[in-house]
Amino acid sequence: MAKESFDKEIQFLRLLALTGGNYDRQQFAGRLGISVHTFDKTIRRLKEVNGDADFADLFRYNYADSAEPVLLFLYRAKSMKESESRRLPIILTALKQESMTAAALLDICDEQLMDSHAAPPDEKTIRSDLRYLEEIGVICREPGGRPYRYRLNNDLTECLTREELIELYEFVDIMANTQIPSVQGYLLRDNLKKALKAATSESSDDSWQEEWLEPFSYRYHYDARILDEAHLYTLLRLIREHRFISFQYYSPSRKRSYTAQNTNPLFTQDSEPRRQHMLPLRVVYDHQYGRWYLLGTTPGGRIVKYRMDGIVDITAEEEADTLLCEQHTAKLDEHTRYSWLVDTGRTFTVRARFFKPALPQNDFIQERVRMQGQWGEIIEEDSRSFIYEIKVNGYTEIRPWLRSFGSSCEVLEPAALRNSLIEEWKELMSDYESI
Amino acid sequence: MNLFEKIFSYQLASRLEETATYTLTSQERAWLKMMLEQPAALHALDPQTLHKIGDCLLEEEIPQLQQALIEKAGSADGQTYSPLLRPLRLIMRRRQAMEIQRLNKHGQLIPTQYGVPWKLEFSMARREWYLLWYNLRTRAAMTTRLIHIQSVVEMVLPEDQYEPICQRMQEICSVERQEAVIQLLPMYNMELTRILHAFSCFDKRVEFVAEEQTYYIHLNFAGNESEYVLNRLRFLGKRVRVIQGDHLKRRMHETATRALARYEQNADK
Repeated sequence: MAKESFDKEIQFLRLLALTGGNYDRQQFAGRLGISVHTFDKTIRRLKEVNGDADFADLFRYNYADSAEPVLLFLYRAKSMKESESRRLPIILTALKQESMTAAALLDICDEQLMDSHAAPPDEKTIRSDLRYLEEIGVICREPGGRPYRYRLNNDLTECLTREELIELYEFVDIMANTQIPSVQGYLLRDNLKKALKAATSESSDDSWQEEWLEPFSYRYHYDARILDEAHLYTLLRLIREHRFISFQYYSPSRKRSYTAQNTNPLFTQDSEPRRQHMLPLRVVYDHQYGRWYLLGTTPGGRIVKYRMDGIVDITAEEEADTLLCEQHTAKLDEHTRYSWLVDTGRTFTVRARFFKPALPQNDFIQERVRMQGQWGEIIEEDSRSFIYEIKVNGYTEIRPWLRSFGSSCEVLEPAALRNSLIEEWKELMSDYESI
Repeated sequence: MNLFEKIFSYQLASRLEETATYTLTSQERAWLKMMLEQPAALHALDPQTLHKIGDCLLEEEIPQLQQALIEKAGSADGQTYSPLLRPLRLIMRRRQAMEIQRLNKHGQLIPTQYGVPWKLEFSMARREWYLLWYNLRTRAAMTTRLIHIQSVVEMVLPEDQYEPICQRMQEICSVERQEAVIQLLPMYNMELTRILHAFSCFDKRVEFVAEEQTYYIHLNFAGNESEYVLNRLRFLGKRVRVIQGDHLKRRMHETATRALARYEQNADK
């Protein structure tokens, strides 16, 4: 898939996931900054990848149905040459049965591809296929000298009993759904599912149960979060390599999230944002919204922050000095120590009183504060309430969390935060007065 | 590491499926190795199974993420795994009943109960596990937090009872769904993606009315989820307004009134 088309598809899927696919074609295309024609083309392509599923239906959230994220198919969208997509399955299926040499595989391919229109593969092609498959760990070489024999490397699943496979499947299901990163976990889950089906069809007792495949339900998942893992490994590698990077940045608060690249250079100047140039140092995942951030510094050492969903077309640039890199990292860590999310502004002490629910109710308020209150502490407690205190950079980021407690939370300090919350509750009260 | 390997491609996968062939890549194994380092693994898998799996992962390198990847606003003690999951799943796979010792919602231990475990559910919002089960005596659907369960012991359930109980649970739990319409005040249109993110875990559709330059979010949710919808509404504050949904409107008004009363009461402090 061309790079441009790939970036477009991610943006497209994000918009779809976030809006439930209810814009009309014109509105969709307008927001993506592409023509209606290109929009239709993208839809057609994605439909090919995903089978016939209706896109709007795809994002109807129904937690009871499946723990499989619909957006995973993004990672299955890589297109292949037709000849390759026929040859590789023949090789893999053959290697599943027994170990083989390249020459033997060539014979099998010749035989099975006889009726195809394409020219039969040569030995060089088969060798390069085997090299690729070995590199990604799908097949392995048997011990012994030339000519090398290869086999499918499914030791992980083949060494387990069916009961063990089920338990591994359940473990992977939980970890993929509750931990980050998760894409490889979902891919593995998919393959374990196939392994489980294979193991069941081989076993004598025919007790397959469809429920095995969905052992758990997960509520309130952030679907779009797995899209950003597309850039994650590239960024982590560049951070490790101490590389500067450049990219186009579409600030998510802009109306359009993506601008189609114009082939006519005359247009590029106004439609493309200036490329950002920075030294990446940290990737931050925010559980509150299910969003990713990239943090780093400019060449001049100023701290910069970007939302990962606005980053397009990353290019590796010059290498940075290791010592300098460490200094910048230390400085960034110091500045984000008290960030509720990523704010690096002035540090405040926020103090709030939380009111306990009436007895005999369990104190779920305190439970929630202890669980979600990050490094803040409960410094005082009586039978009716407790006081929570936290040192935090700015109070914009913590504010929604405090507000989500409604009347169970009263901010005491700082006064500016207290007063602005009073104003906001007044506004909300008058908004809802009329009902 | 490349997440866009051609081996993952749909084209290839559908062909392989015809011959019931599947493949496992190094990166999937490396991810698994990373997850096995977590304490949850010791509860989820037998030592013997862990040992077998470990042998197959010797050559994989755990991706070095810890340093550069930081998680914020997660939950403190990570209740993402519970040692009760495995024994409960075992009972469920065998379609059996259980004897359950648990605390009630006030934290008091109550007498042993008998029931059929039906579903295990994880709430991403509360980062916590719940068991949905059928109470054999009262015939009611129960929801119990896993941290409140002290012990479960498997009990025999006559084979012909399992399916009807599951159907009954399905009926009870497929409660009526509600609709609400939430308006994003146009002056906050710049924050659209943040607001959509906050609602992204719900079944919804977004409507944009060009003449008013206004976004409307149509939410569809089960009755027992309205508390979480309210939490999100309070979370977003004055940026959004409930246009349709009387219960939500009333509750928001109530919350605002009570919150103001708190502040007024302590105005002089």
